[in-house]
Amino acid sequence: MFAPRLMTARLIRRNVNTRAKARRRIAAAAAFGLIIAIVWAQRAGVAQAIDWLRLHGPLWGGLAAVASAIQVARRRVLKRAEFAGSWLAAVPVRSSTARREALLIETLPATAALAAMTVLASSCGVVLAFAHAGRSGALFSVWAAASAGIAIGALVSYAIPAPKPVDLPPGSRYVPHSKVQRAAEIRPSLAALGAWPVRQMFAWAQPKMVARATILILVMMPLGTTADVAMVVIAVFAVSGGLILLWMAAVSASRWVRRWMAPLPVHAGAVMRALLLPTFGVMAGAGAVEAALLPALGVSYRVSAGAGIVTAFVGCLATLGGVQLWGAWPRQVP
Amino acid sequence: MSSGVSGAVLEMRGLRAGYGPRTVLENISLSLAAGDWFVLLGPNGCGKSTLLDCVVGRLKPSGGDICIAGHSLAKNSYEAKLQLGYGCAPDALPALLTSRQCLEVHAGAKGLAAIGDDLLALAERLRFTPYLESFVDTLSLGTRQKLAVLLALVGDPLLIVLDEAFNGLDPASALVLKRHLRARIERRGGALLLATHSLDIVEHYADRAAVLIDGKLKHEWPKSELQQLRAGGADFEAALTEAIGET
Repeated sequence: MFAPRLMTARLIRRNVNTRAKARRRIAAAAAFGLIIAIVWAQRAGVAQAIDWLRLHGPLWGGLAAVASAIQVARRRVLKRAEFAGSWLAAVPVRSSTARREALLIETLPATAALAAMTVLASSCGVVLAFAHAGRSGALFSVWAAASAGIAIGALVSYAIPAPKPVDLPPGSRYVPHSKVQRAAEIRPSLAALGAWPVRQMFAWAQPKMVARATILILVMMPLGTTADVAMVVIAVFAVSGGLILLWMAAVSASRWVRRWMAPLPVHAGAVMRALLLPTFGVMAGAGAVEAALLPALGVSYRVSAGAGIVTAFVGCLATLGGVQLWGAWPRQVP
Repeated sequence: MSSGVSGAVLEMRGLRAGYGPRTVLENISLSLAAGDWFVLLGPNGCGKSTLLDCVVGRLKPSGGDICIAGHSLAKNSYEAKLQLGYGCAPDALPALLTSRQCLEVHAGAKGLAAIGDDLLALAERLRFTPYLESFVDTLSLGTRQKLAVLLALVGDPLLIVLDEAFNGLDPASALVLKRHLRARIERRGGALLLATHSLDIVEHYADRAAVLIDGKLKHEWPKSELQQLRAGGADFEAALTEAIGET
């Protein structure tokens, strides 16, 4: 069976640096060892947890089915869109082979989850058997419920209608930008660099992402939360999220700007000042907004002001550190 | 009227460069005089872009020295870079700045009080002016290429370094640009270092050309030889094939 997509995936895996492969294996083995050690150390608690999981077997099965259906459906849409524009799209493959290949690729999240569950359940079973804690029947029923859920979810995913393929527009679409008069003269200045991290933040904060994050925040709120408190909490999360994005944008822009401007006769300090001062201004503003929002959640004015100052200070410091650590200088031969 | 330098615009001696343990350029020496249009040819991956990266200070060479208009790039990089204009690859331009802002930043970095009228006139002739307020990430490849070249010309530098600058340009714009560059280096008394695969530029515009193979300058065509080839109506492709010893 000539399956070009699977063969490519195999070759890519083979091409991964042997040191990176070894690191991954060591990390996986360490994680597995840690889980087994925890199970052994907490065997009584684990046994109780297994009993509890068995009692709610249908619920876990249902949740596993929903998660599996969503994951497989999303991967299917993504992989089909990727394949349509792939270098392998025009390679002649028998339709039966192409179908099998697509099925294996698209259901990979479910297959991986099943494999992980099986390894974990059998290891726990062995550890508990050694500890004379029993529970093999309960463990099997929990494993069976979750595995059946995953398998059913993967099958059901094929009944979910495919969403429209996501075609991300240029990031600048989401950037607030005031139109300059066409006749305006070009004024030499480094000031435009300052807008770069802020624009990058807006470009990354795509409306779809923001909407999903908002739903997640709303779900996290306890029952009985009033609308005004919910709005304040959303605003606090928005400020925090914006700060994290701005930090990432500043580091990313500094890497880019150093490479772009390396051939220019300008000192790195002047470029970094032009690039980062507006970012620091925005961070100070974010700190002030946070200080203004927190009293609405019952926090004292003093603590709110302190939190705002700390947020702004830590943001600026982290940005400076990030730019120094990850901002790329021109390449150098050792 | 020429306001160039009396010595070489670009002087490169015993240049060595690479990435990590891999040496890409070995003992490259090159000198560009005022008025020289120098074309660097060579197969993919031979080190052309690495050589340009060294000349513009994006890659530090492991050996040798580069002087631009008499200023050492290693010891006196500020003065050297004042005389340098580099047209970067279109995908290296900042996506979230507008074309106008890119020009402003380059002019600001060079300490100019204003962008030259001749540059704005060139932008108009290249039909680039309508894109001044557009974000770079919305521009087509050819339009980005025009912006990259315009940025290289900000401040009327003595040494213009361009990497595949005619890729993606429509024929009319490419012709406008070639004529403009020819006129500019003659008027300014500067030099142009262009890495390209287009042999028509060597046949019609270049004063000198060289082919780089495996990190070494394998063959160089001086001005007289190129003029002879032109006068004799000879095919440069054949001359190149002969020089690199391929049949």
